[in-house]
Amino acid sequence: MAHVAPEIFNGLILGAFFAVVAIGLSLIMNLTGTINLAHGSFMTLAGYLAFAMVSAGTNWWFALAAAPILTVIVGVAVERTLIRPLYRRDPVYSLLLTFGLSLIAEEVYRLIWGTNGVPFSPPPSLQGSVSLGFTDFPAFRLFIAGALLVIIVALVVFLQRTRLGLRLRAAVQDSEMIAALGTNTQLLYMLNFGLGILIAGVAGVLAAGLLGLNPQSGNALLMPAFVTVIVGGMGSLLGAVAGGLLIGVAISVTTLFLPAFSEIVMYILMAVILLIRPRGLFGEEGIFG
Amino acid sequence: MSDVIFQAENIVKHFGGVHAVEDVSLSVIAGSIQAIIGPNGAGKSTLFNALSGFYKCDSGKVTFKGVDITTAPIHRRIAMGMGRTFQTSSIFPNLSVYDNLLIGLQSAANLAFRFRPVDATQHKTIEEKAERLLDFVNLKASAHRPVAELAHGSQRLCEIAMSLSTDPVLVMLDEPMAGLAHAETTRVVEVIRKLHSELGLTVLFVEHNMRVVLSLAQRIMVLDRGRVLAEGTPAEISANEAVRDAYIGKEVIESV
Amino acid sequence: MRMSNRAGLIAALVLLVLLILTPQIAPLLHLAISVCTEVLLFAIAAMAVNLLIGYTGVLPFGNAAFFGLGAYGAGLTIQFWHVKFFSSIGLGVLAALIGAFLIGPFLLRRRGIYFSLLFIAFGQVFYFLAYRFTDITGGEDGMNFARPVIEGTSFSPPDGSFYYMMLGFFVLIGILFWLLVRSPFGRSLIAIKENETRARYLGLDTDRFIFVALLISAAIEGLAGACYGLSIMFADPLQLDWHQSGNFVLMTILGGSGTIFGPFIGSLIFVIGSDILSSAIPWWQIPLGALFVVCVLGFPKGILGTILDALEKRRGGFGYEARDTLHGTVASEREIQP
Repeated sequence: MAHVAPEIFNGLILGAFFAVVAIGLSLIMNLTGTINLAHGSFMTLAGYLAFAMVSAGTNWWFALAAAPILTVIVGVAVERTLIRPLYRRDPVYSLLLTFGLSLIAEEVYRLIWGTNGVPFSPPPSLQGSVSLGFTDFPAFRLFIAGALLVIIVALVVFLQRTRLGLRLRAAVQDSEMIAALGTNTQLLYMLNFGLGILIAGVAGVLAAGLLGLNPQSGNALLMPAFVTVIVGGMGSLLGAVAGGLLIGVAISVTTLFLPAFSEIVMYILMAVILLIRPRGLFGEEGIFG
Repeated sequence: MSDVIFQAENIVKHFGGVHAVEDVSLSVIAGSIQAIIGPNGAGKSTLFNALSGFYKCDSGKVTFKGVDITTAPIHRRIAMGMGRTFQTSSIFPNLSVYDNLLIGLQSAANLAFRFRPVDATQHKTIEEKAERLLDFVNLKASAHRPVAELAHGSQRLCEIAMSLSTDPVLVMLDEPMAGLAHAETTRVVEVIRKLHSELGLTVLFVEHNMRVVLSLAQRIMVLDRGRVLAEGTPAEISANEAVRDAYIGKEVIESV
Repeated sequence: MRMSNRAGLIAALVLLVLLILTPQIAPLLHLAISVCTEVLLFAIAAMAVNLLIGYTGVLPFGNAAFFGLGAYGAGLTIQFWHVKFFSSIGLGVLAALIGAFLIGPFLLRRRGIYFSLLFIAFGQVFYFLAYRFTDITGGEDGMNFARPVIEGTSFSPPDGSFYYMMLGFFVLIGILFWLLVRSPFGRSLIAIKENETRARYLGLDTDRFIFVALLISAAIEGLAGACYGLSIMFADPLQLDWHQSGNFVLMTILGGSGTIFGPFIGSLIFVIGSDILSSAIPWWQIPLGALFVVCVLGFPKGILGTILDALEKRRGGFGYEARDTLHGTVASEREIQP
């Protein structure tokens, strides 16, 4: 058992990444009907920006704050110029557009930072390990676990307690009604997209230190995040968290015992959960949607 | 001849915590025209959607021609002889009026799943039926124009013709006058009257426009906040104090 | 409407003549015959996508799973069971159909972007199966296999003859597709695309129609994939990946979804374009990505869709196919009826 416990903890961390990425994807998907296939590219961008800053001599903590903000600026510019004209059109267009953007981004990262990825280690203060009583645990992992927990709690509080958050959720339910009430929907879309990119950016910097940084590293989290959205129930915040953690733990534990099945297990989980609960763990029953 | 063709018992439908429809029962007599009215948010449309299979009822029972259809899928209901229209005309916007009718006609003739072209006799039957429907709603002149190009009133008539294409015995119309100009209202009212008088169909409709309801319906049910407030003939309903208070007085003054 | 059908027929015949002459023309343009074969096969794959996007109104962003299942279905049966040419293609189609049977019921529960999301996720299952079960599939490196001999002969078609066989498949699928979208079933699909709720209230069990459309699409996709496997004598996980799905969707939209010739035009531009670009510049993914962006923002109706729209405005009545097919059909059917 002793070696399973750390794996479960690692699985929870992995799952928290899935959850955070899934929440960002869900926010964008539910409000604007856009499946953002470039979401992973934004994570990678934040990682590389942080890497560039640290390489240039800035503090890691500064990079953790600044890189996501720069990424949001890029993201919002993309949303304003390229994605916005597609909101009223068939979802195939925004899918193709964000897919094209991810192809371009991947190649740009490759041109600037090389194909093989770059080493991006955590700051000295977070290196080394912490004793948890039963086992020693890397400090950086503990920090990441804490940081992701803070992000998730902050998001829940924001979406359920603040006026802007409530407005976002109301807009997800009925964007026409919100427009009729006089809320500036275009501004809301932009803020929503920016928020999705912001959490992707923070997750991207954290993931870069833990899971590695290469032109495709963000995309590697995209598919598990899709599965998280499906397993949790599309549009459910709680579902994304529960689904992400469940998948993360399942992957980690499977990797320990049956490495060949480590990716397949999340799809098996997805199929089983959809068979039992067609709308996912916390999905609401709809009509056709 | 008071055969009940369609019956709903104790229908309940909630959305989240909101009680949209709370314990509503309703009987429709074969060959009659009945209306459901009520102020905004009374649950009329929700009830209608629950009765026609668009929503699943939380509880209650719906019977059509004596068969329990509470959980029947929509296509089963249509095959049994139900047809309906929507508040915002539900049509195939890029197809011509003729093609809009064709979809229902080939579905009714059990040809919708066919991979080979239809043969000449079937084709002739379908074409004749389409002609009759076009005549019935008076859209022959626009038969080959895309429906999206037509005026609202004509789109509504096209939708009514579509709902007739599957040979229904019960036609459910969800606010047939919604969004129509005054002149168009007259055309649609005439067609609805003909559904009953010429084709002998049973008509159940939800409507906001009181003049239309009072002139068309034989029986009226009034909904208020998800519950049945009153039921009766147009005369009884216009005389009902509770209904006046809740709804009619104000609305009649507004709409007349 | 007759005009439309006749113009379409003439265009089809001109195209056919050009495709027959292609092995003679291609060398002059420094194009390998295998690239021309790829154009045909990707055009078939894009037709399968077109059936769902252009005629049924669901968005298949995981369709490459069926393409790859076709390639692996052919490759694995050649490698392990030593099946012959057409049998391997048939088994590739079968593999794709089985895949569609397995994931179809999950996809059908949702519509719109949720359908696409489920399709991407379930399609990826096959990617990881091929990626992980290295002993059988060769994993990430893919698997090489030889192009088998045709049943009853000792003849394994070389690239030149193979091209003409694929041209045969392309013409066959093109004709069947044309008949399909004009059949009553095809009209029902178009109705579902236009307004599914209304289609239901006209008595169509739309889940059943979409499922069958998905199966047909998967079979066509599997055929293209199996032939592609035989063409390059290789199968690898990237053929199953959602990136490949994205490419097929792009070809469909780029050429013009809801048109018969659109997928071919899209495939032609995509395959020849990436062939030229990838040999010219190492960072060819940037112009490829830019093609996605330009297509989406500049030609949302696709090249053929845009041209047909312009012609329709000028002449009146030249049907953008998904738009006015139904009425056109009635007229043309009458002509061929006894």
